[in-house]
Amino acid sequence: MTGPAAESLLSLHDIRVRLSGLQILDGVSISVPQGTVTGLIGPNGAGKTTVFNVISGFVKPESGDVRYDGRIRKHIRAHRLTKMGISRTLQGVGLFASLSALENVMLGGSSRVRSGLVSQSLAMPWTDIETERLRTRALEVMTELGIAEEAERLPGELPYPVQKKVALARALVCDPTLLLLDEPAGGVGAPDMEELERLIRSWVPKRTVLLVEHHMELVMSVCDLIWVLDAGKVIASGTPDEVRNNPAVLAAYLGEEGAA
Amino acid sequence: MMQFVDYLLGGIGSGAIIALMALALVLTWRATRVVNFAQVGQAMFTTFIALSIQTATGSWYVALIGAIIAGAILGVIIQYLVLGPVKRMDTSGAIIATFGVLIALQAAAGMIWGGDSQAYPQPFGNSAITLFGHEWPLSVYDLVVIGFAAVLVVGLTLIFTRTSLGLAMRATAFNPEVARLSGVRVSRTLTIGWGLAGIVGAVAGVLVAPTSTISPNSFDILLVFAFTAAVIGGLDSLVGAVSMGIFTGLLLSVVSGYSDSSNAPVAALVLLALNLLLKPEGIFGHNSARSV
Repeated sequence: MTGPAAESLLSLHDIRVRLSGLQILDGVSISVPQGTVTGLIGPNGAGKTTVFNVISGFVKPESGDVRYDGRIRKHIRAHRLTKMGISRTLQGVGLFASLSALENVMLGGSSRVRSGLVSQSLAMPWTDIETERLRTRALEVMTELGIAEEAERLPGELPYPVQKKVALARALVCDPTLLLLDEPAGGVGAPDMEELERLIRSWVPKRTVLLVEHHMELVMSVCDLIWVLDAGKVIASGTPDEVRNNPAVLAAYLGEEGAA
Repeated sequence: MMQFVDYLLGGIGSGAIIALMALALVLTWRATRVVNFAQVGQAMFTTFIALSIQTATGSWYVALIGAIIAGAILGVIIQYLVLGPVKRMDTSGAIIATFGVLIALQAAAGMIWGGDSQAYPQPFGNSAITLFGHEWPLSVYDLVVIGFAAVLVVGLTLIFTRTSLGLAMRATAFNPEVARLSGVRVSRTLTIGWGLAGIVGAVAGVLVAPTSTISPNSFDILLVFAFTAAVIGGLDSLVGAVSMGIFTGLLLSVVSGYSDSSNAPVAALVLLALNLLLKPEGIFGHNSARSV
């Protein structure tokens, strides 16, 4: 097992993204050391979610490299992410309203199912075993997060913080190496925030976490390393203390002129 | 009263076929959010293929299996070659494109098998069953049709609710992007949806053909009835499509019995209009708003 000072699991090198005439990312280079919680922060419109979209294969950069697990990934395909060991949660919850909480979580393990249409249609024994294994695994994760008793409910019937946990469980069910969390604290109250912090810390160093978050208290307490984006550029990086005291960061957040 | 019951019973067989065709429409709607007006064209085409196989081999079952395979392949081809590229540009364009496919299939069938109506062999007894001294308006064939419909409905329900493939299909219908992030191979799932719909439509075609004749346009009216049933059923509900398909069959049988069979399409239209006025989301629908 490697410590926080280890090499990067994920790194972006000089990524440029232009969408409908706007330069959203302008030469962004960041790295996520293995086994750490790394934060990506910045004012609204800084390009944080676009960074996630580049990593997930939803947005193709005009130039730059994404390096993951020691290899440059040229053509990232969204449905292959979980196979690569990458899981992503979405802003909000992104749950399927017509599927039960358990089914939502099971879906996160889709890439583990090998049997195809014909064997599933004919209800071959191994497909039952596979689906059953997926169900057991999903329930395990839900138990870890304390939401197993909500398994059969529809997301719409659950309180928002529980829905957030269902979304987390869906991301965890494929046993990811790298977790991309898009605003995990959004809409979560103070008591749940402490639990979220404990939860995220409990995943490292086995898993690596990259999170986008507006809630500064959580970011400062949970992250080992923070990257700060503003207007499509990295303006600072470092430990929470370093970032907190960086004048460029303060300027970007307070909107002062002359920000570097 | 007995006459009314007879009319109702007489509609079960055709109701089961309407239900199957409505089911096919719902399957493609759920997969790609497109109402596939070419569905009856595909069924007509595969029924002609079945007729050719039947003529060559003399076996009704081999012909049915041939139609099922052809139905799956045709559905996949249409999704892959026509719907995929068109839908990337525009959803409403995709619906128009299915009309284009319908016309193309009818023209192709006319060129291959001719435009005349042809008889499809009747595999089982088609005369009314006499039981307890009453001649019921049901034949052995009607029971076979109902049996096939029931098996398909139960099978599809099991696939949708019990397998991870079904889970992936339900998720993809709701939000393809999130499904993709969860590791679902979305385009493959859509293609499977079209293949399944093709199979269901093909079975409906082979089952309905012996009750009348088969020609390039002979299933057009079936589209009207099946579309009505699918929309009333909520367009994305399997249960809705099946129950409303059978209901439509019963209603049309009663209307035809008391008046004239040429009034059946009018009754379907009235039913559709009432539904759109009173409960536009459909009886089993989940969507609160929808444009058809």
